[in-house]
Amino acid sequence: MSFLSDIKDYPWTSLLAGILPSRIAARLPERFQAPSSQIVPPASVAGRALTVVIAIMTFLACLTAGGVYMVHQSASAWVDDIASEITIELNPLNTADVEKKMTLVALFLAKQPGVTRVTPMSADDSAKLLEPWLGSTAALSALPVPRLIAVEIDRSNPPDMKVIESALNQNFEGVTLDDHRRWQSEIKTITRSTALGGIVVLGLVAAATVAVIISATRSAMATNRGIIEVLHFVGANDRFISSEFERHFLGLGVRAGLAGALAAAVTFLLLPFLLHLLGGGAVTEAETRRLLGTGELDIWGYLLLVVIVVVVAALCTITSRLGVFRVLKSYA
Amino acid sequence: MIRFDNVGLRYGSGPEILRDVTFHVHPGSFHFLTGPSGAGKTSLLRLLFMSLRPSRGLIFVFGENLADLPPAGRAALRRRIGIVFQDFRLLDHMTTWENVALPLRVMGQTESDYADDVTDLLHWVGLGNRIHAYPETLSGGEKQRAAIARAVIGRPELLLADEPTGNVDPAIGNRLLRLFVELNRLGTSVIIATHDYALMDQLEAPRLMLHEGQLQVGASQIGVR
Ligand SMILES: Nc1ncnc2c1ncn2[C@@H]1O[C@H](COP(=O)(O)OP(=O)(O)OP(=O)(O)O)[C@@H](O)[C@H]1O
Ligand SMILES: [Mg+2]
Repeated sequence: MSFLSDIKDYPWTSLLAGILPSRIAARLPERFQAPSSQIVPPASVAGRALTVVIAIMTFLACLTAGGVYMVHQSASAWVDDIASEITIELNPLNTADVEKKMTLVALFLAKQPGVTRVTPMSADDSAKLLEPWLGSTAALSALPVPRLIAVEIDRSNPPDMKVIESALNQNFEGVTLDDHRRWQSEIKTITRSTALGGIVVLGLVAAATVAVIISATRSAMATNRGIIEVLHFVGANDRFISSEFERHFLGLGVRAGLAGALAAAVTFLLLPFLLHLLGGGAVTEAETRRLLGTGELDIWGYLLLVVIVVVVAALCTITSRLGVFRVLKSYA
Repeated sequence: MIRFDNVGLRYGSGPEILRDVTFHVHPGSFHFLTGPSGAGKTSLLRLLFMSLRPSRGLIFVFGENLADLPPAGRAALRRRIGIVFQDFRLLDHMTTWENVALPLRVMGQTESDYADDVTDLLHWVGLGNRIHAYPETLSGGEKQRAAIARAVIGRPELLLADEPTGNVDPAIGNRLLRLFVELNRLGTSVIIATHDYALMDQLEAPRLMLHEGQLQVGASQIGVR
């Protein structure tokens, strides 16, 4: 309950003035001005070094969260893609007329229920898929590159893979069906471990932030010991005193958080170019693209950055409040 | 209103500064607390104000035993007490006006409600032209008056003043004494620690005299038993 009344009693209208740099805050309309000067001088709490540290923490958190989100998005797009597709592979070795067999298999597939489209891929197409790994050499055409048929299936009414597979095996030789299940599970594993790694990194960043804020709270209180004493003498309770410190930490969190998130947003905006610049070889670039998609963050991804700013600000505020209470208890 | 029962005080393992101090102060009374320098006047006020704990004995303020008061109760009690420190304890980064308004701000009052009161009081103590000055730029006497204004702005039920006229000339000293008397007439109990006999002679008020750790009540006219 006291938490609710804390929210109600919080000097919200002066919050803005607490967040903005003092020069800008002075220009706000009177309603938003902090009442008189701050009891705890802002400079004694949130120095430039502390702001930079929190901004960097936020930046790292944003990069991590945005990166995990990006991997998740591109992976689920990919899983979606390949879940609505199966691939038929033709072994060219023991077949005299590959093209003819391709056509026959394609026609056979098109007749199966649940199949919406059949796209036989030319030898060139197959070679292109191998290009990033083998380079574009004339030698490729001499190799017995397997031929592929992409089959799009109706996901609302999917065919029974087992039936199609056994029918194929009955009617043709050297034909295999790949329903990408292995890929799907592999992608999911990758996504899951990326997410797990991301959560670990976020946890570490949060822990470091809390540690920094705790020590900053302590030193701010030590610096302002005289002020705390006078506040006690004029009858301030612990909640009043902690709110005087808290408001600076909230301002710090929002200010540094926004700076860090902004830097992260710019990084994400530039990521497609960066990927290209850092691309290295075709393989690296293809791999990175596979992992990150185009490297563009969508609107929800940017919203995630905003959420992180809110979390950082809340973390700063709550940590400092608990820290102040704890130190005050030790004074008594 | 205030009761000391066999109170003893020592700092650390030093000698007893106060020994077996027992006295009552009734609501609405006016007392001088006197004694030579180092007798323990400031220490006694600090005991009353809960910034020191007695080594022995019991202290009751407004009927509350200070020994069992939780921090929240301590804050609530201090809001009913105004105190003027010998060393003023003004906040250097705030203006005179803001310093004086501090107790009201701490009590959660709205600035627009008390703005005029603070300004009026500052004029009354002769700081009308120093309202926006910072304590660093005030003279000793001006700081003292600001500290007194801060102590009385919240209309406390009990006013403790430690050498409140130590740094001002007799004319202003009398004016401040009149402020205390006025406050007392409105119902505030007042205890003024001083060794300024000229000041004490201005007023018929009982004197609590500290000597060698013991408290004697002298020239008792009102309120002390
Ligand atoms: N924090 C402290 N630690 C140790 N001894 C102290 C402390 N404060 C005061 N004393 C001692 O207690 C005694 C009483 O001090 P106190 O300040 O109460 O005297 P006082 O009557 O207010 O003197 P003055 O008239 O000079 O202000 C002095 O001997 C002083 O040295
Ligand atoms: Mg003294």
